[in-house]
Amino acid sequence: MDYQPPERDIEFLLNRVFCLAEEWSGTPSLEDFTADVLSAVVAEGGRVAREVLAPLNRIADTEGCRWVDGAVTTPPGFKSAFSEFAAGGWLGLSGNPDFAGQGMPKTLGCVVEEMFWAANPSLYLYGTLSVGAALCIDSHGTPSQKQVYLPRLYAGTWTGTMCLTEAHAGTDLGIIRTRAEPRPDGTWSITGTKIFITSGEHDLAANIIHLVLARLPDAPGGTRGISLFIVPKYLHDDSGQVGKRNPASSGSIEHKMGIHGSATNVMNFDGATGYLIGEANAGLACMFTMMNYERLSVGLQGLGASEAAWQFASRYARERLQSRSPSGIQNPAAAADPLLVHPDVRRMLLTIRAWTEGGRAFAMLVGRELDRSKFQGNRQAQVFSELLTPIAKAFLTDKGFESAVLAQQIYGGHGYISEWGVEQLVRDSRIAQIYEGTNGVQAMDLIGRKVLRDGGTTLRAFLATLSPHDLTEEFRAAFNDGINRLLRTTEALAKRSAQDVNLPGAVATDYLELSALVIFAWLWGRMAETAIGTPLAESKLQTARFYYARLLPRILSLEAAIAASSDVVMGPDPASFE
Amino acid sequence: MASLKDMQFVIHDLFDAAGLFHRLTGDDSMDRAFINSLLDEAHRYTEGAIRPCNRAGDEVGCRLKDGVVTTPPGFREAYRGFIDGGWAGLLGPVEYGGQDLPATFGLLLEELMCTANMAFSMYPGLSRGCVHALMKHGSEEHKRMFLPRLLTGEWTGTMCLTEPQAGSDVGLARTRAVVRADGTWSITGTKIFISAGEHDLSDNIIHLVLARTEGSPAGTRGISMFVVPKFDVDGSRNKVTCSAIENKMGIHGNATCVLNFEEARGYLVGAEQHGMKYMFTMMNSARIGVGLQGVSLAQAGFELSSAYAHERLQMRSLSGPKAPDKPADPIVVHPDVRRMLLSQRAFIEGGRALAYFASQCVDTLLLSSDVQEIQRSQDLLDFLTPVVKGFLTEGGFASVNDALQIFGGHGYIRESGIEQLVRDSRITLIYEGTTQIQGLDLLARKVLLTQGKGLNRLLPELSQVAASCDAQFPEMAQRLRAIAEEWPAISLQIGGKAMQNPDEVGSAAVDYLFYSGYALLAWLWARMAVCAGDRILDGGEVDYLAGKIDLARFYYARILPRLNAHRDSMLAGGDSLMNVHASVLMANR
Repeated sequence: MDYQPPERDIEFLLNRVFCLAEEWSGTPSLEDFTADVLSAVVAEGGRVAREVLAPLNRIADTEGCRWVDGAVTTPPGFKSAFSEFAAGGWLGLSGNPDFAGQGMPKTLGCVVEEMFWAANPSLYLYGTLSVGAALCIDSHGTPSQKQVYLPRLYAGTWTGTMCLTEAHAGTDLGIIRTRAEPRPDGTWSITGTKIFITSGEHDLAANIIHLVLARLPDAPGGTRGISLFIVPKYLHDDSGQVGKRNPASSGSIEHKMGIHGSATNVMNFDGATGYLIGEANAGLACMFTMMNYERLSVGLQGLGASEAAWQFASRYARERLQSRSPSGIQNPAAAADPLLVHPDVRRMLLTIRAWTEGGRAFAMLVGRELDRSKFQGNRQAQVFSELLTPIAKAFLTDKGFESAVLAQQIYGGHGYISEWGVEQLVRDSRIAQIYEGTNGVQAMDLIGRKVLRDGGTTLRAFLATLSPHDLTEEFRAAFNDGINRLLRTTEALAKRSAQDVNLPGAVATDYLELSALVIFAWLWGRMAETAIGTPLAESKLQTARFYYARLLPRILSLEAAIAASSDVVMGPDPASFE
Repeated sequence: MASLKDMQFVIHDLFDAAGLFHRLTGDDSMDRAFINSLLDEAHRYTEGAIRPCNRAGDEVGCRLKDGVVTTPPGFREAYRGFIDGGWAGLLGPVEYGGQDLPATFGLLLEELMCTANMAFSMYPGLSRGCVHALMKHGSEEHKRMFLPRLLTGEWTGTMCLTEPQAGSDVGLARTRAVVRADGTWSITGTKIFISAGEHDLSDNIIHLVLARTEGSPAGTRGISMFVVPKFDVDGSRNKVTCSAIENKMGIHGNATCVLNFEEARGYLVGAEQHGMKYMFTMMNSARIGVGLQGVSLAQAGFELSSAYAHERLQMRSLSGPKAPDKPADPIVVHPDVRRMLLSQRAFIEGGRALAYFASQCVDTLLLSSDVQEIQRSQDLLDFLTPVVKGFLTEGGFASVNDALQIFGGHGYIRESGIEQLVRDSRITLIYEGTTQIQGLDLLARKVLLTQGKGLNRLLPELSQVAASCDAQFPEMAQRLRAIAEEWPAISLQIGGKAMQNPDEVGSAAVDYLFYSGYALLAWLWARMAVCAGDRILDGGEVDYLAGKIDLARFYYARILPRLNAHRDSMLAGGDSLMNVHASVLMANR
């Protein structure tokens, strides 16, 4: 697909809805990010997405990765594209400036990441894992570890991985078996097999830095007995000069539904040399730093998929001529009218648009909270970002998949044929609902840890920041109704779950969607309001009206389903549905 | 096998198919024992011959070389078994070699075949449509020419509608038919997306082709139907060739062909310019079959994901360890995993009941001699067909996605087999008329145009079932009564708006389709709960039957509320769709 960066919408959000240059003007480390700088970064990121990444998206799928004797060859063109991409400094965008990172705000990172994901998810995966690994090392590594790894990860000459999953341990990391034995020189010997390791082996970088979860010999059971290690593919000295090959190798790569250009490896660690990062037995906490970053990033993958879906579908709906409009011929010069005259095609297109632009605003909202926390020391913002992260991961990826499926539907039979590219989008986007914690796990995180643990206090505080007065008047009543339903539901859940330990899990998925739909309602009303007087006024108002009329009603169903007792889920004997 | 038991529950306990056949035909040989033995035999065949080549079908797919399509390894042997078992003739008339069983038997076989291997099941599936159209509209001569071999399975069929510029809009078809001196026709044109258009399973392929005769009017009114055999009656190779097969998202084992007709010899079916009408008789029966494909694939997904949920150990139950001797509990203990399993199950069993109910309408209208009963069945069937096709395929796709989600990362890996089901099932929402086309057919043709004929037949049934629920399941009775009031009211309201503005129909159609689907499943789940309750009192298997009641409760509590969103969304009307400026729908913002 010929990808077009959605620059206009991004700039609208940056400058009109969130007024970021203004917000940052009093913060010394962010003062340089004026509207002009933001605009330049967006334009260049968009160019890279369009010109460097997008052209390789089809071949990523058709050629895929190849594994021969432990070496992985990426699809043709990936190597030079990745170098060019990395040379642009995109991996160090939000990186630590003390180690050659650019120290840019996360909000801006969200914007460019979305474009990279939309243009070529399997190529960008090599990048996002490096960014996550760098973040983890920056947060928990020693000064010398930072010195060696960060500049190279930011430059993309080395890349990173996260090695958590084992064949028997996916969501449940507490049962991993990979062992770490101490050596006299203070390093560790790592032995075990990890699966589903994205970018575990490939030909894009000179070295690969694995962050590996393993158990010390005397570690307590469960998640409290897990430590995190740095295990480089090639051992190196303090100056980063690489030497001997570490016995950390790829045993095979998986044949997957999609993202064929991304190598998913089985990694065998056979007494590989590892370096402890962070405290012993505190590995899971360290890994969560990385995982939280990755979760937002995967949410952005979902958003990128929505945008790609939009571009596929809106073009096809304009070009494809099929049947006449029910209200009379619209295109008399041709044998049929373009698809977009048909009401249900419009419904699908507007649904994609509402998820995409609403999702972009939502992602930026999360980015803003992260920046307020990191750069302005705002504790409340930190808590809000933690509240919103599982929603970003789950809802944006659910809607990314939904959008891709709708785009495919608009293509009709052609959508099922590989050469059109839209079925690849469906397959590629499906993984985002699973990895970095399935969306079920996100839903449990939201309802259990983020909402009910403090009796809904954080949620109420966050919702209080979404003022109905910020919205165009026609949306206020419906938004208030939505907020009230969410608050009532939350309050009732807090009470009911005190007596029923299974209730939060039984309704978690529906609850996450309910929360997201209400927050999106605010964002749509807000975008409609701030667009007044701009060239986007009409499109924002009309899409907002569509959202309120046709998508927001989903909260009624969710509210009613959540009101059900957990007995309907937990009561039936599992043996009866074997 | 769980699915056989569930199928029997629907066929025997819920609908008493044997009783119906007896009443309609006076023949009591199609009793429960007969149905069960046929089911067992079909199941032995599908599990033994078809399921084993399902993965190879996906991995190897079909190959085209010099116009010849080779099907995946195992398909030829499996098809040989289909012929030898006499399965091809299940439904055909005895005089042409068929067994003349009611349509429901065909559906039972189709379900088992599709659950085992969808791509394979489509080869005989397309023959059935072909037989159906010839039976109904073919001349005696054509029937004698083509039916006997189609009914042994030695020959297979296709339907050739789509052309590159004509998909949903069949009226744009350009393929031409010119009459020859001998009364046969010369067919020229290119058809695309022709399932089973060329392959190595049968000796001959009988194409039903839509084409335009000279001087015919534009649009769908000018279309005629022709039979174009790959090998002509004299054994010579007809000029129809496969120039390409598509690389698709799924159903790799089924060849999707581009067919070129170059003055191929064709035989006119029925009368000139009636092709579209004939195609619809064929398509209507095909649509029930495609709806059932949604259920069948969901069944396959459920079998895999439920087995996985019982085996896979991951995390402890929040209410305390359930498998203390193991490192973690099976994931079936986790509420959200159960929600996904129960959602699949509630859809599958409700959907199966809906498809078989529709099939009973087919049997009744074909076999009954009571005019009123025939009319009633026809009205119901007309109404139900788009719901069966649209709602059950959408639900099937959602269901296999839940199944994949239960597998976590392993579900994304091809060898798990579950992602294949997602890819395979995706086509069912598209072919034989997209969900959008079904929505329009339902709301415009079947509801508004007939003033709710089919719906009005159903509403008393809803009230009746509500009454039978009062004692045991009062909350279901209450919901069902509310639906029986709301459904016609919504229909009237949209009808009123549509009088003012025709775009209101398309604006509401898909939500109306979903609303109708959920409402119908509510009706059927209440029936199943009552039926299970009665069976328990009769001394039936308590655990199994209580499971049905649990599922009914789950359906009402967790799935049925989706009605509310579809209702409010469609009642919000078309303004937010149609008053949108075209630029808002275009890519460049």
